[in-house]
Amino acid sequence: MRKFGMKRAVVGAAIAALALNAPAAHAASATATATAKILRQITLTNTSALQYATIISGATASTVQVSTAGARICGAGLTCTGTTTAANFDVQGTDGAVVLVGGDPSVTLNGSLGGTMTSSLTYSVPNITLGATGGNFQVGGTLSVGANQTAGDYTGTFNVTANYQ
Amino acid sequence: MLRFFKGFGLLSVFLLGSVATPAQSAGDLLVAPTRVVLDGSRGTEVVLNNIGSEPATYRISLEIKRMTAAGGLDEIAEADVTPAERLALDMIAFSPRRVTLPPNQPQVIRVGVRIPEGTPPGEYRAHMLFRAVPDAAPVVAADPAKPAGNGVSIALIPIYGITIPVIIRVGDLGAEATIGDAWVGDTPDGPAFNFGLTRTGNRSVYGDIEVTRPGVSEPLLVARGIAVYPEVGAREVSLRVPPELAARLKGPVRIRYSEDRDIGGGTIDEAERVVK
Repeated sequence: MRKFGMKRAVVGAAIAALALNAPAAHAASATATATAKILRQITLTNTSALQYATIISGATASTVQVSTAGARICGAGLTCTGTTTAANFDVQGTDGAVVLVGGDPSVTLNGSLGGTMTSSLTYSVPNITLGATGGNFQVGGTLSVGANQTAGDYTGTFNVTANYQ
Repeated sequence: MLRFFKGFGLLSVFLLGSVATPAQSAGDLLVAPTRVVLDGSRGTEVVLNNIGSEPATYRISLEIKRMTAAGGLDEIAEADVTPAERLALDMIAFSPRRVTLPPNQPQVIRVGVRIPEGTPPGEYRAHMLFRAVPDAAPVVAADPAKPAGNGVSIALIPIYGITIPVIIRVGDLGAEATIGDAWVGDTPDGPAFNFGLTRTGNRSVYGDIEVTRPGVSEPLLVARGIAVYPEVGAREVSLRVPPELAARLKGPVRIRYSEDRDIGGGTIDEAERVVK
């Protein structure tokens, strides 16, 4: 998948290069020139979601923590079921390139039957040095569950970026 | 895919096999090149490619980010930008700003610069953000495993993207950098190789770091694309390294900071350090 993406980037650049060189075709000379420019690239792929799975709230407020390794700590008074995962992002690019990673420190979730919750977010690293096989980083978090939190399906969105400097 | 399995081990294999993950990888993307420097006389092009398995709509925008002394990039809200940062946002023109791409369809984004008369010499910079616009919240299918009544299920959807710097240089600018102390330290995520970089002059410095042991040709560590932006006079560079490399880095090393290979790879600074 990565190789295909890279090929496309080169093709895109080559088309651009050819377009730029188009005026040369008007010259009297019959010599044809083929040009291609290889651009450095970066790819970002989301390979797993941050999953808190299913939580049954209790009589007191509590928290559920999912570490950047995906492990769960279910707070006192809560019942947690299902499999939790941390969000995983795969980054590909030039071997040795340093990429800064980061994103929102917290996210608000809205319930399908009303109610909101917030989750803090933790990032496994502030930067990654890409190896020959790229690199990856994870996002975990701590969800604050209210006392007798309204049941329902809660959704929220958060921003994550990989930044070249 | 292989890398993913390798990184996450058996747990991931189990998860992939048993759980249908919703709307995965809609929005995966490729951006090239990874850095743009313009002097105002001509524009350039950036390629965006949808490398996901589903069509996705991407938005392209400009952001101001400021480097921190720790080497991070802080996002600055539009209301808080300085006049020079505002000027950078105004000078850069690009199109399109929104594009829907089928899988494996590249799109060229044209980037132009217009430098107004009388712009003071200096380096102006904004960061171009490429990211997928999320679909409308997916309908969550009823989960038969979920207990009725007081069960709460959570879906957190990341909106993820890539930023690359777009740098405009006005006038004749220069800068130098000096390598400071180097040491191996511990972070919550494992050992890291750290060193300081001090910058002087009126533009950023950018290049590659190579750490070698005297008498050994194979470098211990190579880190490419390290910048010190004009808003900071010095920054720390902290690179996570595997424990065995952290142990090997200790002792006498030569650190070389060189310009990008694209512009010749000349040495910016070179220093002998004893890593503690």
